[in-house]
Amino acid sequence: MTSDTLFDRLADVWIELDEHLERVPVLSRLADGTVTLEDYRRLLFNLRQQVVDGSLWISRAGSNFDIEHFELRTAAIRHAEEEHRDYLMLERDYVAIGGSLEELRAGRKNLGSEALSGYMFHYADRPNPTGLLGAMYIIEGLGAKRAAEWAARFQEVLGLADNQVHFMRYHHEADGEHTGNMNGILTSGIIDDADADEIVRCAQVVARLYALQLEELDN
Amino acid sequence: MPYGVSMATTATAYLTGFGAYLPGDPVDNDGIVARLGGTDNVTKRIREMILDANGIRQRHYALDESGEPTELNEQLAVKALQSALDDRGIDASRARMLATATTMGDVLVPGFASMVHARLGGGPMQTLSATGVCASSLAALDAAVSKIRLGDHPVALVVGSELPSRSLRQRRFEGFRAGMDSHFLRWMLSDGAGAVVVEFQPHPTKPSLRVDWVRQVSLAHENDVCMRSGMDGPEAAVGHTWQDVGIAEAEARGMFVLRQDVSMLDDLAEAGIQQFQQLVDIGLIDVKHLDHVICHYSTNAFRDVAFDALRRRVPTLDTDRWFSNLETRGNTGSASIFIALEEAWSSGRFQPGETVLLAVPESGRFSFAFAHLTVVAPSTPQGAPE
Repeated sequence: MTSDTLFDRLADVWIELDEHLERVPVLSRLADGTVTLEDYRRLLFNLRQQVVDGSLWISRAGSNFDIEHFELRTAAIRHAEEEHRDYLMLERDYVAIGGSLEELRAGRKNLGSEALSGYMFHYADRPNPTGLLGAMYIIEGLGAKRAAEWAARFQEVLGLADNQVHFMRYHHEADGEHTGNMNGILTSGIIDDADADEIVRCAQVVARLYALQLEELDN
Repeated sequence: MPYGVSMATTATAYLTGFGAYLPGDPVDNDGIVARLGGTDNVTKRIREMILDANGIRQRHYALDESGEPTELNEQLAVKALQSALDDRGIDASRARMLATATTMGDVLVPGFASMVHARLGGGPMQTLSATGVCASSLAALDAAVSKIRLGDHPVALVVGSELPSRSLRQRRFEGFRAGMDSHFLRWMLSDGAGAVVVEFQPHPTKPSLRVDWVRQVSLAHENDVCMRSGMDGPEAAVGHTWQDVGIAEAEARGMFVLRQDVSMLDDLAEAGIQQFQQLVDIGLIDVKHLDHVICHYSTNAFRDVAFDALRRRVPTLDTDRWFSNLETRGNTGSASIFIALEEAWSSGRFQPGETVLLAVPESGRFSFAFAHLTVVAPSTPQGAPE
């Protein structure tokens, strides 16, 4: 297993996640064209409760990288800054399809989001949480590789305007950039074997919890 | 760059709720005088002649039997909106935009939409007060439809509302010689309001009307004023509008009377037909797939002109596919097209897949508005959130 490169190992995690996502009810309805506007509304509602935490755990991770990991600290701080207004885009989408901002903001995390967010904060609290690059790989990968596809499919099935799917469309572009930056870090030589194991393990956990978040809508 | 995607996708706008409000009991031709006055023999003769020509048998006035006002224009608007919301089964709090059309609100300031919104309630919403005359109805619709298609709002309301009767009463016609240009409208216009709900999703359980397009065009650049009030003659002149000369003098000169240069109406009808033809020429109207026409016109004389002209271009158009309620609901200006649409819609004459053309010529200074609609069955499985 360790003879594989880090990229191969992460790719295996990704493939497994991809297969798992096909079985997530809301995504399978999206694929077969039976998804409803209510599904999209619920998805945004559920994602929002976790997305608001995104820049928090990233910046917390940034503050836990010592001077030996300066590059990672830089990357985390920059990433947190880029992400910290994203949830506003999601909120505008939610309102644009008829949802209530007050209800959205009063919402709570679902079981999967609780687990995902709790894990991220917990991990980000560790000294030099390099393993979080695995979390990034999954979350940014979903944004770069899947979000635009989902947005386009929601638009196609539900007849939505661009102004109603900003969040998913934007992530396609922004996260594409982020995964590019991350690939640079993974190949820069600052990742040792122990880090690589941590990164893969973190990716596995986050992949599972992210899918759980999508499965446990409103629970 | 959140907006950096090359191909912009818009939503689709659907009319999902229809409402109308006509104040009081219908007034037949014999009941007009009690409300508007004009008992002298000359006025009587003119009235009978005009009523005979315009073909209106019944209309509604927000006036009691002695001619005193019973409601405000904004109240008519709100009642029509409420009826459209009830038809859709939602509350005003769901609406994020209100576009109103009226020739004259109750007050000079603030805008009509603000007054209607205040009375309607609901939550914060975008407002637009479209003014003008009859075609302001579809100008308001166009604005609401555009915002829905952009995805800026999930639900918008549109209302056309008119209360001209109070200015058609005898007191406005005293002290000066009222010509044919003022009598024509006096015995033609009446009160009412019509409204629609516009959404980006079709009605979840009932048919809806998809808005395929709305077009409005003004030909004021090459036409004189045809319908006017507040000016001394057909040309606006510095120092000579109702705002310049003093209220008493303006009234004495008959500037507050609504007038129409009836000699221009044949040209108006012809221009309207040309506009229709242009929409056919550029492919927006496919005469082979045009199932229903709801045309606003002020008098039955123009019904025949318009119907014959369209019939030549749309061979399948027969009287069953042509809808107007002018004879029973009167000419309610910017409200007319929505009042007619509501009645046609609830009559069940439209079947899924069929197309409907709304046509609204406006004499004011020659503008024309059209909307093309398609009947769609309730969406399954997708639907708007309840």
